[in-house]
Amino acid sequence: MSARPNSKRRNAVQSAVLPLAFGAVLVTAWQTGLLHKLLNTDEYVLPYPTRILTIIGENSDKIMENVWASLEVALLGLVFGSILGYLIAVFAAAFTKIGSGSLTIISSFNAIPIVALAPVIINWTKDVSPEAEVRSTVAKVVIVTIVCMASMSVNAYRGLTELPAFSQDLMKTYGAGRITEFAKLRLPNSVPYIFTALRVSVPVSIISALVSEYFAEYVIGVGRQIRENILIAQYSTAWAYIIVACVIGIAMYVLLIAAEALVLKKRR
Amino acid sequence: MLETTENRNVEIMLDNVGMTYDAADGKKVQALTNVTMDIHKGEFISLLGPSGCGKTTLLRIIADLLQPTSGKVLVSGDSPREARLKRKYAMVFQSATLYDWRTVIKNVELPLEITHESKSERRQRAIKMLDLVGLSEFSDHYPRQLSGGMQQRVGIARALMLQPEILLMDEPFSALDEFTREKLHVDLLKIWRKTNKTIIFVTHNISESVFLSDKVCVLSPHPGRLSAVIDIDLPRPRHMEIRDTPEFTALVSKVRNSFEGV
Amino acid sequence: MKIVRKITGSKLFFTLLWIAALIIIWEVFAYQVEQTKRTPENVLPHLSGVVDSITSDKKINGSQTAFQMVMENAGATLSRAAIGYVIGIALGFILALVMSLSGIVEKIVFPYLMLIQIIPILGMAPIINAITGDIAASRIVIAAILTFYPVAANTLAGFKAVKRESHELMYSYSANKFQLYTKMMIPSCIPYFFTGLKISAPMAITASILVDTLQGGVGLGCLLSQSLKGAMTRYVFWDIVFFSAIIGILSFYLIGIIEKLLCPYKKLEQKGR
Repeated sequence: MSARPNSKRRNAVQSAVLPLAFGAVLVTAWQTGLLHKLLNTDEYVLPYPTRILTIIGENSDKIMENVWASLEVALLGLVFGSILGYLIAVFAAAFTKIGSGSLTIISSFNAIPIVALAPVIINWTKDVSPEAEVRSTVAKVVIVTIVCMASMSVNAYRGLTELPAFSQDLMKTYGAGRITEFAKLRLPNSVPYIFTALRVSVPVSIISALVSEYFAEYVIGVGRQIRENILIAQYSTAWAYIIVACVIGIAMYVLLIAAEALVLKKRR
Repeated sequence: MLETTENRNVEIMLDNVGMTYDAADGKKVQALTNVTMDIHKGEFISLLGPSGCGKTTLLRIIADLLQPTSGKVLVSGDSPREARLKRKYAMVFQSATLYDWRTVIKNVELPLEITHESKSERRQRAIKMLDLVGLSEFSDHYPRQLSGGMQQRVGIARALMLQPEILLMDEPFSALDEFTREKLHVDLLKIWRKTNKTIIFVTHNISESVFLSDKVCVLSPHPGRLSAVIDIDLPRPRHMEIRDTPEFTALVSKVRNSFEGV
Repeated sequence: MKIVRKITGSKLFFTLLWIAALIIIWEVFAYQVEQTKRTPENVLPHLSGVVDSITSDKKINGSQTAFQMVMENAGATLSRAAIGYVIGIALGFILALVMSLSGIVEKIVFPYLMLIQIIPILGMAPIINAITGDIAASRIVIAAILTFYPVAANTLAGFKAVKRESHELMYSYSANKFQLYTKMMIPSCIPYFFTGLKISAPMAITASILVDTLQGGVGLGCLLSQSLKGAMTRYVFWDIVFFSAIIGILSFYLIGIIEKLLCPYKKLEQKGR
């Protein structure tokens, strides 16, 4: 039984080494052309990793410009959508009867294909600005906002209403009013739920930013570049943007997990 | 005076059983040290003690859910593993552990599905066992429709299905209210008398252990050890009223005073 | 009076109230747009106009009404979405099962499963289209990939949520692995499995429509792009928007209904414990 701490350490090492080894095998298969045989494709459509990295290096200025454009849309939409979603949740929690009905509607927004949503929003924001770049950005931010709003409002509502047993009674015995109850009980109780929502909406904000770029008037952004480059058969460049998009997704998720660990540290 | 304790057939033999864990900080924690005792066929034994005394650890060692780090356990000559494979035990847990998606009778039939018993045999025996625990009319209900006490009775019926020789019960009534618990005590003793099982009953409730058992094994913590074995020579069958007798009260204080270092 | 109070107190009533409010807001803006724009249907048509375009029997491309056209293209898109959905479900469930059976496989695969969720798969749609070279196939592949993650992750969570006592019960019966899974693990993870199905059903539809927009041919997405470009009346666009929104929402509720039928015990109220 003295093997226990050792086996724990071995476990941790395994969890890191095994996936990395698998990843190495995958990249090797890709680089040596084995993957191409498996997928029945050629190195033109699926370029070698080294080639993609070279392209990223060569075009770093242009890529960064598009990355910032996409990040701006994703982050602004995420922030607006989350704030809006939280406010809706507060409203729904304050007026439960009317509110829960509105949440049913908003959560069904989640099921609306973003492909249908994007052109509509782009239509509606045509008059916002005479400049195509500005009005496209506004349209894209609005799309991301709508998509992020749904998951935040549903989760935050749960956080504001699913309270520990008797905690509301406790507040009542103190003679706390609704505002105090909100500040001292509901708001802190909802914090972990906010992170649950963000774990969903952070990846979703990026995906919807990229997809909304497909439909936008002004040609910019990582998602749009993937598509444009494929249209002109520049597959290596398209792959460079795909890799960059994956890196953005992973980086934002890691940041979120770090923030969550920091904020919720005391609760564990 | 008591047929059950006069039966000198040893069913379970514990010889110097000990269990040592490695704590997270690298220190060794002695959950159980030098437990030696014999449990006879048909006996009702309670393992009584506060949390951390190792009573559940001891039960889990007998059930082959844990391997002791020292000592030996024999169940009518077999190791706990062999005894488990021969299906000599049945377990009853603190929560009834019924499956939500099965009706009451299908829950009770479960162990016989595992042993590939025929459908008619399964059904027949399940009906008998549900009758024994007084739940015949609820056989087509789902567990969620039953109260906690009823769920636990279904758990007992299920445990009896494999006709085990030994019933291992891990604080089965601790989540129930006092009224339900006292009723289930009487029911359990009736079932025990009819089926003649050996029962090992883990609890932290002194009066429960005195009311039910032939012998109360008192365990004390730091390190977990067997600190006293007290014979309960109250007459059987026992009724609820026995709790109000001076003999009962005296036994309760005797058990309480045998704890060390709590 | 009692009935009135019962109706106005129900959740459904307020949901309907909200739908009515949304319709009113829509119509007010549509009226506004009608007064100020030359082609109001490009921005915000009256809902009556959308309904008219669906029910009218006017042929818009020589042989088909708007409704027939939307339905024909929907068939092409949704059937591929459904195939991809089923493949994704099967693969997701099998992977969760294998991960639950083998710790090593779980350790290898789990980080990559997380990765699939984090990286923008929809952004990869064009390249998958290029690799498969066939639009029908890429619809299936993308719908399957998007379905795969929520099903695998939720099913695995279901396997992990099984209580220790449930395991010990099976252990005390000396049940074998096969019995452990068929009698206990799989039935107990079904609610989690359905959570995965509910999340991924609208995603599979979205993915399939998106793939359409990448290439000409048949499909809701193609029709949507054509209508946006002015190749046919703009009402076709609105028909598709409403149709896909409704299908997306319905798919979510449909899975919920199937779950209720399969798990009758779920709706039972828990008794005091």
